[in-house]
Amino acid sequence: MKRSLLKEIIIIVSVSVFLGFTMNIISPNKIPLIQDYSSRHQIDSVSSDKQKPVRQYTKEGFVKPVNVKIQDVKKMFDEGAVFIDGRPPEEFATGHIKGAVNIPYKEFKDKTVEQKLEILKAYDKEKPIVSYCGGTECEISIDNAYEMAKAGYNELKIYLGGYKEWNELGYPTEK
Amino acid sequence: MNFLSNKYFLLILRLIVGGTFIYACAGKLLNQELFARAIYNYKFLPDVFINIFAIVMPYLELVTAVFLILGIFKRGSAFMIIVMLIVFIISLTQAYARGLDISCGCFSLETVSEKSDILLRIIEDIFLLVATFIIFIKSKPIIKQEIQQ
Repeated sequence: MKRSLLKEIIIIVSVSVFLGFTMNIISPNKIPLIQDYSSRHQIDSVSSDKQKPVRQYTKEGFVKPVNVKIQDVKKMFDEGAVFIDGRPPEEFATGHIKGAVNIPYKEFKDKTVEQKLEILKAYDKEKPIVSYCGGTECEISIDNAYEMAKAGYNELKIYLGGYKEWNELGYPTEK
Repeated sequence: MNFLSNKYFLLILRLIVGGTFIYACAGKLLNQELFARAIYNYKFLPDVFINIFAIVMPYLELVTAVFLILGIFKRGSAFMIIVMLIVFIISLTQAYARGLDISCGCFSLETVSEKSDILLRIIEDIFLLVATFIIFIKSKPIIKQEIQQ
């Protein structure tokens, strides 16, 4: 009895593994078997006063958004950088970084490049734009920044601490 | 507790569990990249396993669900579904306990959007776990069934 259960499990798992890998080879939306996720949350070299950081490019050819530390975020805030909040409007309405603009990632990601440029046309492509969202475990700050960088914006900064950290530090917010 | 062995009752349970799993795997099959990201958001798997998990998992759900509904390898399918549900419950619970802001992860938005939704999902999964467990213990191995007949 135990053996037949084990046999069934082996068959089921084998069929699933076979289907999974085969379909992943055929599928147009295939994903790599192993992907490096670690760099997503790594704080990149800080934009210190001493030297201007060298721009890095992604393999798609756009400028790679940079993860920045809270100190740099605050500095950019004081210097009047544009802050983009990627959360849905309902969450944005409950509180956000003072002066931030709400560009919900969920809608933004599906827009054409022209539409994206239209939304962002008020901002300078060569000046810092800080992308953030709810908090440290929030991924859309990263994704929203990449969408904007793809559209040709070269100074995307990602603030991973997000509204949560900003608010806890008592920095300027508004509703 | 005789009704638990009633074959129509068991069939309904199989349809509920299988149906839920087919429904759940559809979205994942359509967008494995987002599913991989959703798994990453839960932060319970080492990075190297995330994509492999995202590639196999939806098919494991599909295969077990179809088998369960059709009544092929019922016990094996029920067993694997139990294993998957336990994994789901553990990962949801730890995400809930750690206060992971998966609501803002936004990839799992369709399934998990708020803290309360995570709780609902946990309850849902526990219900499915009980149902699958009943299916598992009430589905006798084929050989034994034949002998009885």
